[in-house]
Amino acid sequence: MSGEVLAFYLLAALAAGSALGCVIATNIVRMAMCLLGTLGAVALLYFLLSANFLAVIQLVVYAGGTLILIVFGIMVTSRTYGEKLKPRTSEALIGTIVVLALFAGLVAILLRAPWTPVAPTEPSNSVAQIGQELLGTYLVPFELASVLLLAVMIGAAYLAQPAKKE
Amino acid sequence: MSTIELLLVTGVLLPLASFVLLAFVGSKLGKPASGWVAVLAMAASCVLAAVALMQWQGLDAAGRAAARSAPVLWATLGGMPIKFGVNLDSLTLIMFFMVTFVSTWIFVFSVGYMAGHSDEIDGVSKFHRFFTYLSLFGFSMLLLVIADSLLLLFIAWELVGVCSYLLIGYYFHKKSASDAGIKAFVTNRVGDFGFIIGLGMVVLFLGDLSLAGAAERFHHEFTAGGPLFSRTFCGLSLATWMGMLLFCGAIGKSAQFPLHVWLPDAMEGPTPVSALIHAATMVAAGVYLTARIFVLLTPEAQQFVAIIGCITLTLAALVAIVQTDIKKVLAYSTISQLGYMMLAMGVGAWIAALFHLLAHAFFKALMFLGSGQVIEGCHHEQDIRKMGGLIRKMPVTGLTFLVGVLAIAGAGIPALWMPNHMKLGLGGYFSKDEILAVAWHRVYGENHGENEVAAGAEIQNPKSKIENATVGTPPPEPRPLSPLLFWIPVLMAYVTPFYMMRCWWLTFMGKPRDRHVHEHAHESPLMYVPLVVLALGTFVSSYYLFRPLVAAAAPHPFLTASYDGAAAEAAEAHATMISHGAHAALATRVGLAFVVGFVLAWLIYRKGLAVGEKLAAALKPVYTVLVHKFYFDELYGLVLIGGTMALNAVSYAFDKFVVDGLVNLAAFVTERLSWFSGMIVDQGVVDGAVNGVGRGTWSLGGLVRSPQVGRIRNYILFAATGVAVVVVWIAFV
Amino acid sequence: MLTVGLTQYLVLAAFLFCCGLFVMTTKRNAVGILIGVELVLNAACLNLVAFSRYRVGTIDGQIATLFIIVLAAAEAAVAIAIFVNYYRTLATIDVDKGDELRG
Repeated sequence: MSGEVLAFYLLAALAAGSALGCVIATNIVRMAMCLLGTLGAVALLYFLLSANFLAVIQLVVYAGGTLILIVFGIMVTSRTYGEKLKPRTSEALIGTIVVLALFAGLVAILLRAPWTPVAPTEPSNSVAQIGQELLGTYLVPFELASVLLLAVMIGAAYLAQPAKKE
Repeated sequence: MSTIELLLVTGVLLPLASFVLLAFVGSKLGKPASGWVAVLAMAASCVLAAVALMQWQGLDAAGRAAARSAPVLWATLGGMPIKFGVNLDSLTLIMFFMVTFVSTWIFVFSVGYMAGHSDEIDGVSKFHRFFTYLSLFGFSMLLLVIADSLLLLFIAWELVGVCSYLLIGYYFHKKSASDAGIKAFVTNRVGDFGFIIGLGMVVLFLGDLSLAGAAERFHHEFTAGGPLFSRTFCGLSLATWMGMLLFCGAIGKSAQFPLHVWLPDAMEGPTPVSALIHAATMVAAGVYLTARIFVLLTPEAQQFVAIIGCITLTLAALVAIVQTDIKKVLAYSTISQLGYMMLAMGVGAWIAALFHLLAHAFFKALMFLGSGQVIEGCHHEQDIRKMGGLIRKMPVTGLTFLVGVLAIAGAGIPALWMPNHMKLGLGGYFSKDEILAVAWHRVYGENHGENEVAAGAEIQNPKSKIENATVGTPPPEPRPLSPLLFWIPVLMAYVTPFYMMRCWWLTFMGKPRDRHVHEHAHESPLMYVPLVVLALGTFVSSYYLFRPLVAAAAPHPFLTASYDGAAAEAAEAHATMISHGAHAALATRVGLAFVVGFVLAWLIYRKGLAVGEKLAAALKPVYTVLVHKFYFDELYGLVLIGGTMALNAVSYAFDKFVVDGLVNLAAFVTERLSWFSGMIVDQGVVDGAVNGVGRGTWSLGGLVRSPQVGRIRNYILFAATGVAVVVVWIAFV
Repeated sequence: MLTVGLTQYLVLAAFLFCCGLFVMTTKRNAVGILIGVELVLNAACLNLVAFSRYRVGTIDGQIATLFIIVLAAAEAAVAIAIFVNYYRTLATIDVDKGDELRG
C-alpha cells in the first residue's frame, strides 16, 4: 500500500467520520467542530489531488472564514438557555431511510459506472495558470462573483443592522 | 523602479494613506488632529517631491533616461496591453512639487479656516470629513500628474471630478452649495463625454493608451497616411477630431468656454477648496492634460484650442470687471488666466503655457487664501462694496494679496529698458509676456525674420538640455494665425490689472464703507503664515526656477517636426520669442499694461464706489450684459431646461391627442364588446365553467395544503426523497 | 486490495453529500442547516476536483470549485445575517418556529 493510498484512506476516514459526527451531534458547537474536521480533511484531499492552490484556499476561506462566520452565528443566536432542539423522531426515521436509499443508489451507480481506467493526469495547477484562466476564459464569472460579493456585503450589513429605534 | 520614481509613488500614496486613515478613524481623531494628519501627509509628499526634484536636477540626460523604468503590465484587454507606470520627466517633477507645495500650505490654512466654521451636521462634528476629501483630492491630482497612460490619467481625472463635487458641495445642507456641486459635476461630465469618445478613438486607431506609445503610433500613422489622417468627418481629419475630443475634457475641467459656467458657482465651497481647485488641482488638470496630449493635436486642433482659449480669456476678463463678490472676481480671473494658458497651448507655446500654469498656481492660491482670510475676518462678508480700508486691520493679508495682484497683472520692467536685457518682474510677468511673444511670432513672425537670426545667441536652453532630443528634419514654416489671436489677448492684458486692482483697492484701501464689517476685521497667524510663504513663492517662482525645467520636458521634437513642427517650432519660437524683436514689439504694446490698468482702477475707485456707479449707469447696456455674465446661465437654462420642457410639451400633446385618442377608441370598442360578451356569453356559459374549476381548485388546494407544513426542513426532505427515488430507480430498476 | 481512483473519491463525496442532506433535513437549529449545506457543497467540490484530476486533465474543475468556495462564503454571510434577524424577531433559532407560510 503506497503512501498516497494510505493517506487517502486516512483522510477519507477523517472526512467521513467528521461528517458522521455532524449528523450525530446534537450540540451545535460540536457540529461546527466536526465540520472543521471535514473541511480540513477535504482540503488535504485536494493536496492529494494535486490541487494545491485550491487546498490552501479551502483552508483559508472555508476553515478560516466561513467556519468562523458560522461560529459567530452560533454565538449570537444561542443565548436562549434550555432550548433543546432535538430532531423529531419521525423525521429522523424518514430522513435516515431516504438518505440511506440515496447513498445506496449512488454507490451502486458509481460502482457500475463504466469508467475507462484513465491514468491520473497531472494538471499543471500552478497559481499562475489558475490566475490566467480566471482573468481570461472565466473573466465574466469572475467579475460577476465580485459583484455578487459586493451585493452580499451590502445585503448582509443591511440585514444584520440593529433595529431602528422608533 | 528607480529611486526618483519610488519617491514620487510614495508621495502619491501618502495622501491616499491619509485619506484612508481619516475616512476610518477621522471622527476619533477629532477637530484639529485630523486636519494635521492631512497636512503632515501632504507636507511629507512635498518633501519627497523636493528630494526627487533635487536628484533629478543632478542627473544628466543619460541618467534621466535611465531613471525611467518600464511600466508594469496590468491587464491585456482584447490584445491591447494596459500598462501603468510613472511618466518621469521634468514636467512631472515640477508639477508634482508645485501641487504638493501649494496644497500643503492650503491644507495648513484650512486647519485655521475650518476651525472657525460650524462643521456640525445633526450635532456631529464633520471636521475630519473635510480633510478626508482634501487628502483624496491631493492623491487624485498627484496620480494624474505621474500617470503615464491616458487610462490611468482618466481614472485620476474622474477622481478629481468626484472630489471637486464632494468639496464644492461640502456645505450640502445649503441648497446653493449642493446645487453648485452638482453643476460642477454635470458640466464636467459633458466635457468628459468628449474625452471618453476621444479615448475610444485612441484605442481604435492607435491601439495604445500609454502617452509615449500613443504619440509614437500617431506619428507612424501620419507618415503611413493611416485612416486617422486619410478619413475626414465634416471636413476635418479624424486625427483633428480626436485631438478636439480629447481637449473637450480639458474644456470641462479647466472651465473653458462654453463649459466655464461651473467655476464661479464653485465658490460655494469653503474658501480653501476654491484655492485648491483654482490653483493646484482641478483646473490645472485640464492644462496639464492638454500639455500631455499636445503631441496628438493636429494644427487644426491646436487652432481650435487657441480659439477656445481666446474666447474664454476675453469673456472672463470682461465679466470680472463688474463682479462684486471678492471670490467671484478671483474665479473669473482664474478662468481668464486659464484662457491664456489654453491660448498658449494652441499657438504652440507649450512651455509658456505650463510656465504660466505654475506661476499662476502660486499667486492664485495666495489670493484665494487672502480672500479667505478677509472673508473669515469680516464675518463671512464677501461683498467688496462693503469692505474698504482693511489694510489697517489686516496688513499681512493686504500686502501679500498685493503681491498676488502684481503677479497676475504681469508687473515687471520690460527687458527692453533694462541694461543687457536683464529681466526683472514677478512670475506672471514672464509667463504672460512669453505667451504673447509666441502668439506675436505666430502671427507676425514671418515678417521679422531678421530677429530670429539675432535670437540664436540668447537661447537659454541649449539643445542638450532638452530631454528626448532627437534630430528632426527642419520643420515646415507654421501657418500664420489670425491677428485676432494676438490682439485680443493683448487688449485683455490691459483689462486684467484693472479688475485686479479694482478688487484690491475696494477691499483694502480707501475708507471703510461698512463700520460693522470693519470693526470686527482681524487676522489669525495660522492663516497668514501660508499667505507669507506663498507670497515668497510668488517671488521665487520666476523665470529662473520653473521655466528651464518645463522647457526641458518639451515634447519630442521629431514627433511633430516632420508633421507640422509644432514642438520643434515651439523650441524655435521659444528661441525667437526671447529675441529682442518679439519682446521689443511686446514691450511697446503691453509692457506697461499693468501700470495703465492700475492707474485706471485707481482713478475710478480711489474715492470709493461713486465714480464706478456713475460709469455703470452711463454704460448701462454693457454693464447689464456683464453682470449677467453674458447670459450663459440663462442661455443654458433656456436651451437645456426650455428644450426639455418643449420636448415635454410636444410629447404631452402627442400623448393627449394621438395616444389617448387611440386608447379611448379602443376602450369604447372594448366596452361595447364586453357588454355583449359579459351579458350573453359570460354569465351563462363561462361562469358555470369557471365556478366549476374554482370549486375543483379549492378542493385540490385543500388536498395539497396538508403537506405544506411551513417547515423548510420538510421541504428539503421532500426534495431529497424525490432525488432518492430517481437515483434508486436508475441504480436498481 | 485498496486502491485510489476516481470511484473512491466519488463514493466519499457521495457519503459527505448524504450526511449533509441528512443534517439539512433533520437539524432544527438554523445554523445546523447551514452546516449541512456546507457539507453538501464540499461534496460537490470534491467531485469536481476529482473529475478534473482523473478524467479531464484541465484545471477547469478547480476553477469551478474556486467559484463554489466564493459563493459558499457569500451564502454563509447572508445566511448568518438572516439568522441574526430571525433570532431577533422570534427569539429562537429553531427553524420550525418560522412556519408562517404554513398552508
